[in-house]
Amino acid sequence: MANKPSGNSKQITLSLDSWAVLLALILAAAVRFGVFPKVPW
Amino acid sequence: MSASITVLQAQSDTTPLNILRLIPGILLLAAVGYCGKFLEKFINTYAKSHHWTFPNIEYVLWAIIIGLVISNLLSVPKIFQAGVATYEFWLKVGIVLLGSRFVLGDILKLGGISLALVVIEISLSLMLMHFLGRVFKLSPKLTSLLAVGSSICGVSAIIAAKGAIDADDEDSTFAIAAILALGALALFTFPLIGHSMHLSDVTFGLWSGLGVDNTAEATATGALYSDAAGKIAVLAKTARNAMIGFVVLAYAIYWAKQGQAAAVENKASFLWNKFPKFILGFLAISLLVTFHTFSKDQVASLANLSRWAFLLTFAGVGLRTNFREMSKQGIRPFIVGALGEVLIAALTFGLVVGADRIWGL
Repeated sequence: MANKPSGNSKQITLSLDSWAVLLALILAAAVRFGVFPKVPW
Repeated sequence: MSASITVLQAQSDTTPLNILRLIPGILLLAAVGYCGKFLEKFINTYAKSHHWTFPNIEYVLWAIIIGLVISNLLSVPKIFQAGVATYEFWLKVGIVLLGSRFVLGDILKLGGISLALVVIEISLSLMLMHFLGRVFKLSPKLTSLLAVGSSICGVSAIIAAKGAIDADDEDSTFAIAAILALGALALFTFPLIGHSMHLSDVTFGLWSGLGVDNTAEATATGALYSDAAGKIAVLAKTARNAMIGFVVLAYAIYWAKQGQAAAVENKASFLWNKFPKFILGFLAISLLVTFHTFSKDQVASLANLSRWAFLLTFAGVGLRTNFREMSKQGIRPFIVGALGEVLIAALTFGLVVGADRIWGL
C-alpha cells in the first residue's frame, strides 16, 4: 500500500494483493454479520 | 503472455471506466467456470441414470479444458481479455478465504514442514537451473529469471525479478512462456502420477505446491487430485511464495555488484515490497477461525466462497493458455525449463515421500 500525493489531496493506490485481501475481508465480514446467510457450492 | 504481465497494472487502476472494462472478461470466467461445474454434475447424473461406468471428471478439469478450447481454437476476443487477466486476483481472494479451512496449529505444523522442504527445494532448483542455463548457453539474466521462476512462484516471481535485475522484456517473456507451458503440462501429468503411486492427499498436495511453479496451476493441480490435496497445495505454495523477497533480493544484489542493475538501498523496504501481502490476509482469516469468530456454518460459507473464487481462477488458467503463442518463444529456453522442471518434479517427489516417511504426513 502506498500514499501518493496528488495536488492538495492524497490519492491512495493499492496493490493487487491488497485489493484481494480487502475484498476477502469484506466478504468474510459479510458472512460473519449475516449478509450472506449461507453460501452454497 | 502479456495478459499475465498487464494484470498487475490493470487491477491497480481503479477508475470506474477501467473497472467496467473488466466486467465482460469476469463474466466469461464465471460462465466457463460454471459450465465446468455443470458438466461434472450433468455427466455424473446422466451416467448414473443410464448405469454407465464413467470416471468422475472434476469441474476443475472441465473448466480448464473449456478455457483451453476457447483460447486455442476460437481465441479470446479483445473485449474479454482485460477481465480474463483478473484470474490472478481471484486466485488471491480464494487463497485468503481458504485461510478459513486451517486453524493456526495446522498452519504451524504443515506450514513448518512445507517451509523446511521449500528451503531445500529452492536451493537445489537454483543450482540446477544455473547448471542447465550454462550447459545450454542461455544468457545469464534469462537463466536467473528461469531459476527464480522455477524455484519460487512462476510468473509473479519472474515479474518481480525482472525489475530488480533489470532484465530484457524478451528474456522475461521467454521465461514466463516456459514456466506457463510447463505448468500446463504438470496439470495433466502430476495427478496421473499421483494416482498411479497411490499418494495420500497430503503428500500429493505438498508435491503440487512444491513442484508446480505458478500458483494458479499448483492450486488447480492439487484440486484435480482432491479437494483436500488442493488445500494442502495452496499452503505449500504459499510457504514457497513467502520466500520470493529473499531470493529476488539476492539476485538484485548480485546483478548490482556486476554493475548491471540498480543497487538496493533499503533491504528491509525491498523485502516488504516484494512480500506477497495476501499471505497476511490468509493468516488473518485463519487466526479469526482459530479464535472461533465464525460459527461452523459461517466457516463452511467462507470455504465455499473460496471455491467460487478458485473456479474463476481455473477458468482463467485455460483461457490464458495459448499453445500457439508459447511455441513462438523459441525452443532452447523451453528445453532448459522442461529439463529443469522434470528434475525438480522428481526431486520434490523424493522430498515429500521422504518427509512422509519421517513425519508420517
